Amino acid sequence: MKTNNLLSNKYFVAALFLVPALFFALVYLIIPIPLSAYYSLFKWDGIGAMKFLGIDNWAQLFSDTVFWKSVINNFKLVAISLIIQIPIALFLAVLLTRQIKGINFFKTIFFIPMLLSSIAVAFLWRYMYDPTFGLINGILNLVGLGHLTQSWLGDSSIAFYAAAAPIQWRFIPLYMIIFMAAISGIPEQLYEAAEIDGANNWQIFFFVTLPMLRGTVINASVLIIVGSLKYFAMIYALTGGGPNHASELMATYLYTKSFTEMNMGYGSTVSVALFLIALIVSVLFLRFNKKDIRN
Amino acid sequence: MKKSAIILILALLVSTCLVGSVSAQDQITLTLWDIRTASDQVTPALKYAIERFESDYPQVKIDHVPTQNDNYKTKLRTAMSADNAPDIFMTWGSTGLKRYVEANKVYDLTSAIESGWRDNFMPAAMDLGTFSDHVYGVPVTNVAPAYIWYRTDLFEKYGISLPKTYADLKEVVAEFVENGITPFALANKNKWTGSMYYMYLVDRIGGSDALQKAINRTGAFNDQVFVEAGEKIQELVKMGAFPDGVNGLDEDAAQSRMLLYTDRAAMYLMGSWAYGTIKNENADILTKIDFMNFPAVESGQGDPSNLVGTPGDNYYSISAKSEHKEMAVEFLKYLTDEKMGESLIAVGNIPPFQGVGNKIDDPIMKKNYQTVQAAHYIQLWYDQSLPLELSQVHLNTTQALFSLEITPQAAADKMEAAAQEYYGN
Repeated sequence: MKTNNLLSNKYFVAALFLVPALFFALVYLIIPIPLSAYYSLFKWDGIGAMKFLGIDNWAQLFSDTVFWKSVINNFKLVAISLIIQIPIALFLAVLLTRQIKGINFFKTIFFIPMLLSSIAVAFLWRYMYDPTFGLINGILNLVGLGHLTQSWLGDSSIAFYAAAAPIQWRFIPLYMIIFMAAISGIPEQLYEAAEIDGANNWQIFFFVTLPMLRGTVINASVLIIVGSLKYFAMIYALTGGGPNHASELMATYLYTKSFTEMNMGYGSTVSVALFLIALIVSVLFLRFNKKDIRN
Repeated sequence: MKKSAIILILALLVSTCLVGSVSAQDQITLTLWDIRTASDQVTPALKYAIERFESDYPQVKIDHVPTQNDNYKTKLRTAMSADNAPDIFMTWGSTGLKRYVEANKVYDLTSAIESGWRDNFMPAAMDLGTFSDHVYGVPVTNVAPAYIWYRTDLFEKYGISLPKTYADLKEVVAEFVENGITPFALANKNKWTGSMYYMYLVDRIGGSDALQKAINRTGAFNDQVFVEAGEKIQELVKMGAFPDGVNGLDEDAAQSRMLLYTDRAAMYLMGSWAYGTIKNENADILTKIDFMNFPAVESGQGDPSNLVGTPGDNYYSISAKSEHKEMAVEFLKYLTDEKMGESLIAVGNIPPFQGVGNKIDDPIMKKNYQTVQAAHYIQLWYDQSLPLELSQVHLNTTQALFSLEITPQAAADKMEAAAQEYYGN
């Protein structure tokens, strides 16, 4: 029978199973990109008539100081995340792949931040940051460091860093798990050989583990770079991009423009700019590291 | 074996799709969106109305979807623009609702209103839901002006008397600061909270028509009155009238009221719903809570009986797309009937309905009711009365005033520039 033939064709079956995912990817990921580029040429409040503007939105974008501030904040977030998340995740991964008592307990504990929803984490930190009742200022006062207390989310000069902290806290476990998986894939013989050669723990880490993890670290870096460039959730929940745009990211800015100020045209312009920036940066980074991945 | 498994999965998928569409035949479901989350004091009154409606109309189910205040505004705008509006939705009336009316997204309630329903409402409350003599939203929740709520015991303890004028207010602020108490509890991440100070100062300095003049372009948003209001806010900020990091605190997370509850702050400028909120959150403290009008500015033209707020607070409307408009109208009648009025009074609100005055026993609510009756003018919140393009500029510049990141003149100029762009002059 013809259907039977089709169904026994593994490519057809594979395609069949891909159809639902492909459909949603098309509708929610692929099609919106050219659509946003199209909207960016209009003045549109999302409800009424669309008014063609040509490149006015783009001209406005280039002279929009808030947008550039958000771009800078995004790159700051990339740098902070790379510097903090990779080393700490690596450290924890190495630690947790060793024979330590109660290892499963620590694995679970360290993984918990990843299991909480972003918004819940943001609320947790919001109360920790409360200048009067918060845990952080409370502890500082308790140990006699009262002069270090801050209005963490209200002070424009530190609000961005305060809002970036929970992002680090939440995502370290993700990379920890990725590194743990990679470490357990390193052949045991390499370690045995190193031990016979008399390498100490540090040498084993730097000359065996780290080189073997190179590809994984690069992949994790790409995830962090792209993730940080399009980051939204916890910043939005903690500061909404404020105060006075101090912690604004491209994604929070496009959200505010599109959905709070109902300027869908300009919001689309920001979103296309965000897409282009993320695309260029990740292509450049991958090209830069291409040789290394092949090794 | 493999093939039959695939066919089985496909069959299951198809059948689940079918089941979903068949079962909901006779039952009507009306979707209702508003901000009545569990922590909202009006929620029990609303739930009671839903309960009464559903028991009278067993074939109708109200699917109530509450969303927290600031997120709600975004959610509704998004749904409206995507043509996904629920059957019944809540707004704050005025320009926010008008935008949807102009886009033909809202069902015209006029014929229902004119068949006897109008007598149910306080006349002043109807205005914000009425556009070109057609009614699109009915007031349900609260006659809610902003007052300065204060801790009577803290005023007594430090022998401080209530401020009648702005000069008095500065003295009060100075004395509380001296005693280590934050004068005003304020959480200004939300921006509309700080805006209340600005609106009152503009009213007290320039009178009730200052804003109207700027809107109808006989005046400007950088007129002296707006600059002066900004200066006074910054004067208070510099005196330490507000909590540290005020722009990072979240009103929706009660970070303002916590200061009031723990004796750390003495005053709280907030809509009259604060009374119900406090009752809900911390009933023990109610005996130490009272309210006063915002003080007069000595040289100003504003009448100190004027209020800033809303005569209806929340307006409920029906989507033009709803398939069960008559049923939805019927439900709105349950939301505005006498029983609803009684349950609103019970939670500390003044329902915008006729003949509620003599039903109120609570002394604070009585005072609230009388203050509203005595007011010569109620200015609607700027973020509801200004078009969206301007209200966002107003909120952003006012927040920046509180953190001293913009000068009053620059804030006013920015507002005027946005107004010129919007009104095209």
